[in-house]
Amino acid sequence: MKNILSIAFGAVIGTWLRYLLYIATSPLSFPLGTLFENVSGSFLLGLLTGFFVRKGTKEWLKLGLGVGLCGGFTTFSTFIFDSVLLWSDGYLLKTIIYIGVTFIGGLIFVVAGFVLGQRVGGWSQKRKGNR
Amino acid sequence: MVFFILALGGASGAVCRYLLGKAVDACFPKPSFPLSMLFVNLIGSFGLGVFLNINFDGVLPQYLYNDSWFLFLGVGFFGAFTTYSTFSLEAYQLLEKKCYLAFIYYTTLSLIGSFLLFGLGYWMI
Repeated sequence: MKNILSIAFGAVIGTWLRYLLYIATSPLSFPLGTLFENVSGSFLLGLLTGFFVRKGTKEWLKLGLGVGLCGGFTTFSTFIFDSVLLWSDGYLLKTIIYIGVTFIGGLIFVVAGFVLGQRVGGWSQKRKGNR
Repeated sequence: MVFFILALGGASGAVCRYLLGKAVDACFPKPSFPLSMLFVNLIGSFGLGVFLNINFDGVLPQYLYNDSWFLFLGVGFFGAFTTYSTFSLEAYQLLEKKCYLAFIYYTTLSLIGSFLLFGLGYWMI
């Protein structure tokens, strides 16, 4: 139950942030908000995963941040919807760029986050060991 | 009110994703590529297509984000039910394990499959 509540709480924050970013970028003709969310959310999940690999933590906290916050902040369905809208408006090139940048960007940033998270996790673990 | 609607949709979407993911993992304990999030993203994209089709009857309003049902189900529920961060992470983990074929299956099925299922829900049903 604690895990479920933690996921729900994380998802509420994630969904609110996603909505606010979308509203802030909605005057643009390109779904920059969703692109930014999915790439930065991938970075954050990579960071958390890398960090928790090195430095264990409580299950509910991991689930709340990973499944709840990152999962609720990023979205696959809106990504597909945005692409279909761009495509049906006749912007074929923009559609391809949107999908390509989201896909490649998500991969690059999840790796960057993971590597950074492992470093920080390992560093804070070592510091604890030295004390 | 907007934030309450979003919270309700988002929280229930994420919890459903977690529970469905766990159920898929229990049914297929050792898949060759991450099945549970593929499943979730395919269903969620289809669901969003069906919802948009039924709610707007093929004609999207100019200000979609003013519609309460869209906020609740489109942004909240299906937005949080599906996820991109785990998709990126799992794709990367397949690459790292040198499972290149599984990487191609996973990413292609997620992307093409979600497009087809969204389209099916949005235009055909």
